[in-house]
Amino acid sequence: MLVMKDVYKIYRTDTVETHALRGLSLTVEEGEFLSVTGPSGSGKTTFLNIAGLLEELTSGTYELDGRDISSLNDRERSRVRNEKIGFIFQSFNLIPELNVFDNVDVPLRYRGFDRAERHRRITECLERVGLASRTKHFPAQLSGGQQQRVAIARALAGEPRFLLADEPTGNLDTNMADSVLDLLAEINASGTTIIMVTHELTLADRARRNIFVRDGELHDGPPELHFATAASA
Amino acid sequence: MDIGPIWRAMLRNKAGFILIALQIAVTLTILVNAFGIIQESTDKISTESGIDEANTFTLASVLFTDYEREQRKVLIDEDLDLIRNTPGVVNAVASNSFPLRQGGWSMSLALEPGNQTAESVNTAIYFVDEHGMETFDLGLVDGRNFLPEQVTWDDPDDNTWPAYAIITEELAKEIWPDETVSYVGKTVFISDDDPVNIVGVVDKMQAPWPNWDNVVERSMLVPQRRPSEFVRYIVRAEPGMRDQLMPEIEAALAASNKDRIIRDVRTMDHTRKLAYVGDAAMIKILGFVVLLLTLITALGIVGLTSFNVSRRTRQIGIRRALGATQPAIIRYFLIENSIVSAVGLVVGAALAIGLNIAMVEAFALEPLAWYVIPIGMLVLFIVGQFAVTGPARRASNISPAIATRSG
Ligand SMILES: Nc1ncnc2c1ncn2[C@@H]1O[C@H](COP(=O)(O)OP(=O)(O)OP(=O)(O)O)[C@@H](O)[C@H]1O
Ligand SMILES: [Mg+2]
Repeated sequence: MLVMKDVYKIYRTDTVETHALRGLSLTVEEGEFLSVTGPSGSGKTTFLNIAGLLEELTSGTYELDGRDISSLNDRERSRVRNEKIGFIFQSFNLIPELNVFDNVDVPLRYRGFDRAERHRRITECLERVGLASRTKHFPAQLSGGQQQRVAIARALAGEPRFLLADEPTGNLDTNMADSVLDLLAEINASGTTIIMVTHELTLADRARRNIFVRDGELHDGPPELHFATAASA
Repeated sequence: MDIGPIWRAMLRNKAGFILIALQIAVTLTILVNAFGIIQESTDKISTESGIDEANTFTLASVLFTDYEREQRKVLIDEDLDLIRNTPGVVNAVASNSFPLRQGGWSMSLALEPGNQTAESVNTAIYFVDEHGMETFDLGLVDGRNFLPEQVTWDDPDDNTWPAYAIITEELAKEIWPDETVSYVGKTVFISDDDPVNIVGVVDKMQAPWPNWDNVVERSMLVPQRRPSEFVRYIVRAEPGMRDQLMPEIEAALAASNKDRIIRDVRTMDHTRKLAYVGDAAMIKILGFVVLLLTLITALGIVGLTSFNVSRRTRQIGIRRALGATQPAIIRYFLIENSIVSAVGLVVGAALAIGLNIAMVEAFALEPLAWYVIPIGMLVLFIVGQFAVTGPARRASNISPAIATRSG
């Protein structure tokens, strides 16, 4: 379970202060498939980064599985990311010098699994995303959809409880986007909590719960509603 | 433990790594061989001359007025009387040369009278009286010092060599390699057929030429005095008295006779510096070169790692997002550098051995001691790891948010 209460995130540069999140409160239950929509610059990525422990919050509280995140040091935060959270990024973010197999291997090595265990998980996850035959390929030799599947395999290999996706289909055409969404739905069906940022309403519809972020504030409910009010305002 | 993927990733970006490995190899090659030369020169510089250098100084008396032979003898006797009677002087002697002076007299010795043969042995010659032993502070290991009556003035009408000599142990061994009991009483021939009787053996006294590599320990004291216009005095002072005595004796000698000048008043320390000035410069230059090369290699490693850190900024953020701790990021670069260093150092060790073999043949150098290459490898490895830590630390500070922020 993920619980955020009154979370603020302020980015300070020499000249400006950006209030990216203003008092965001949210509870995500085990097994949910949550979509996050909102206008550009509204704070979606900021929210996801804080949820995924990639950034620290400015004020408020954040508990992940009953654990107060703000009390963790860098090593513990790394460990939580490694064990509990899988990331899927818009630009895939595979490591270009590593082949498919080694890419999926990266988080498993940080986890400290032995060779056999890593091998078993990598093969299994690549099979699950339909890329078992491409282990020796390098990212540059794969299509965008294939790269995103490798990224999903990498996110799944550690069997995380949470899967965080920031515009996972943003760089893909509709067909590929659909198949990636199918995959996410299937993963969610097997128990993994998914939080997905997207700006495409059709994709957001496939989530079981939708939240809408505007100016760093959260609004629950179907996205169409909010887009409609935003447009008429 | 992570070597596999790190190595495979390096193979995808070989050029920079190969260049740095080569730089490390060349640095090791030059480093250890330069060190070998430095070590040899240092050994040479620090060998003892066998005399009491710390308390000894030398000076020369040069006559500029025509003196008869007998007058010159008188002057030398007066000078030596004056010096030896000055409080604080242990002893003094007039000689043609002294160790480290870089100029002197050498003769060839043979076991049989007649022409010199291949077995003849060269030795430095020091003409002294019975005060020579004490002035030079030589350690007698066998036999005895010259008796006063064995010391003669050089006679222009008689070219025969004095019949007695004291020699260094090294020289004795060279002449009679099979002798096990005593060299005293043995006869050797000099100047083709003049017999010389060995009356004493001293443990050590270097020839005047420190660069006379293999024979620098061969010296012979000859009990003869030479009344030339140019006379060198060697003065041994009591401990602590040298610096005070130098100007005092110079002034006293100058005042005692106005027909000559006193010059070249020098401590043995000064003479030693002059003798090894080339070696000392060589040590400094090579040391500087070695330091510079090591520094350049370190900078090369810093440069390559910094470049790789910037090139991989995004990937480092991704690794952090996937669970890499900061130490894990640092470790990545350390392992990568270890691989480059290992390759460079192994190649360098082979090159270093090759170069050393070539140098030993070409310049008659000593081969490198067994430990020089391993120590050189260790030093360069540590320098390399240190060089990596700066950029690697910077890498570890890259935020994991990079993964979502820069598209
Ligand atoms: N590192 C940063 N430093 C300063 N300001 C930042 C930083 N990251 C984000 N911001 C600002 O915070 C606000 C929220 O940004 P965020 O990336 O969360 O928006 P978003 O909803 O993900 O937008 P998009 O749909 O375009 O991805 C923006 O105004 C952005 O300019
Ligand atoms: Mg965003």
